[in-house]
Amino acid sequence: MTLAVLFGLMIVSVSFGLLSGPSALAPADVVNALLDSHGVGAIHDIVLRVRLPRVALALLVGASLATSGVVFQALLHNPLADPYVLGISGGAALAGITMLTFGAAAGFGAAAVPPAAFAGSVVATLGLYAVAGVGGRVSATSLLLTGVVFNSFASAAIVFLASVSGLADGARIFLWLIGNLSSTAISASGLVAGFLALGLGVALVLARSLNLLALGDETAESLGVASERHKRWLLAATALMVGAAVSVAGLVGFVGLIVPHLLRIVIGADHRLLVPGAALAGGAFLVVCDTVARTMLGGRELPVGAVTAMVGGPLFLWLLRRSQQRVVAP
Amino acid sequence: MIACCLFGAGPAVAGPPVERVISLNPSLTEIVVALGATESLVAVDSASQRQRAEFATLPSVGGLFDPSLEAVVSLRPDLVLLVPSVEQRDFYDRLVELGVPTVRFDNLRFEEVLDNIQVLGGLVGREAKAARRVAAIQAVRGAVEQAVSEKPRVRCLVVLQHDPIFVVGGESFLDEQVRTAGCDNLGRELGAGYPRASLEWVIAAAPEVILEASPIVQGKEAQGFWQRLPAIPAVASGRVQPIDAQVVTMPGPALDQALRLLARALHGPAIDAEIEVQLRGVGP
Repeated sequence: MTLAVLFGLMIVSVSFGLLSGPSALAPADVVNALLDSHGVGAIHDIVLRVRLPRVALALLVGASLATSGVVFQALLHNPLADPYVLGISGGAALAGITMLTFGAAAGFGAAAVPPAAFAGSVVATLGLYAVAGVGGRVSATSLLLTGVVFNSFASAAIVFLASVSGLADGARIFLWLIGNLSSTAISASGLVAGFLALGLGVALVLARSLNLLALGDETAESLGVASERHKRWLLAATALMVGAAVSVAGLVGFVGLIVPHLLRIVIGADHRLLVPGAALAGGAFLVVCDTVARTMLGGRELPVGAVTAMVGGPLFLWLLRRSQQRVVAP
Repeated sequence: MIACCLFGAGPAVAGPPVERVISLNPSLTEIVVALGATESLVAVDSASQRQRAEFATLPSVGGLFDPSLEAVVSLRPDLVLLVPSVEQRDFYDRLVELGVPTVRFDNLRFEEVLDNIQVLGGLVGREAKAARRVAAIQAVRGAVEQAVSEKPRVRCLVVLQHDPIFVVGGESFLDEQVRTAGCDNLGRELGAGYPRASLEWVIAAAPEVILEASPIVQGKEAQGFWQRLPAIPAVASGRVQPIDAQVVTMPGPALDQALRLLARALHGPAIDAEIEVQLRGVGP
């Protein structure tokens, strides 16, 4: 029932995204354009080439980030874990911004940035395992510490690159760091969709294991979970999912942190519901935020990360306050 | 009215030409070069260095956003030239505190750029050359205005970057230039300066001409970027015109050259002859 409600919310958010925009198209025109994929004209271009791919990408990126947030919070036993905590985003950001800064001089255009960012996320993930894995085991603490340190290094390197870049590159770096869905190639949706399917599939298959892994590695093993093997599969699949999302959208914050917490209030902590629920809710959340980002200033655009932060920050504080009151209340 | 303060004490007073100049902005560097006073430059900012090969051997004193106070002071300049952007406004205050002769130049509007040429001409001892340059720019401006006066206004958009899209808005010398050249600048709707525009807005605005000033590599992708949007009149009619960003977007000594480029991009190469007719004072 809850998943059906979340699915309905996703449909509503997609409709909101398709019907909203700075050009104030009539709903009937939007529907007609959607039903006539071979149509021509400004309305068709706006609906089919601007809004529809944008909404689809927001849905996929939001689903990826929220799902990965659920997985990381369970595996790392840390309610503050988000998709970026393990340094995967740092690797993607550093590689992508390096391409932004120096790629033009080497003859690479903007299209080279997402593949470079994805490659960076893969390298960061491999490095994470290499450093944090000891004796065939990967502990939550070592993963977190390694990720935090790597993110700090990546941030420093990014500041350096931003300092030496030109004015135009500086603006693009800023937009990349805050999270932005406007400048992505439409084909990027395919990359995100593929890795979302992989990550979601692995997380759904191992959802029962996630329930037990969230209680701790020893507890999970004592109940028959091959914890190290399952952890590696989950981390690998989720890291690829995050890498794909970050490579096209930059560092969109708060989706992977807030959505899992909000869902636990509604669904509870059973990952067999939480994982698909996060995908639906995360996608819906980012679609709504992105729609606000591209409509609230008329023809101008805000980066979507600014909206998710404005919404997510107060929401997170409310969640924190709520959890503290529950602890205090008898 | 330009903000031009030597030691922050008010309008600059003419004196002997300076011999050791540091320029912290490419547009000011270009003016000094155009006035034939290149030898007075002892250091430039890194953007100016990238722009001209002959400055590769000059010391760099940092970028537009991170000039080095120590590097500037150590060169003991007679004069430092800067544009009061956010970062360089603080830098100006620090230079004044240290007693370094510094002049600020606003270059947002067309008339401010002309004032800059004249003031710099006085500072580097090239008043006559500066006056001739300004007169030449004003003559071309008048000629372009006359040449395009009988032509229908063109709904245009000047795109500085297309991924994401930044356009020329209102209240800038670029806006003034394109409007002089006969363009109804659609970017003015988004406000002043160089606002970021959504792709949906661009499609809905339906520009007849898109002037693409993207950097070179990005420019090669620009055609592909716009070709997937044939509903835009400029795309359908093949009027996505690449323009030389280095000339057109520089608030410097070549405003006349920039105006000619814009007029040609908007009205075709035949406009050159019409501008020449106006310059010679031979009307219809």
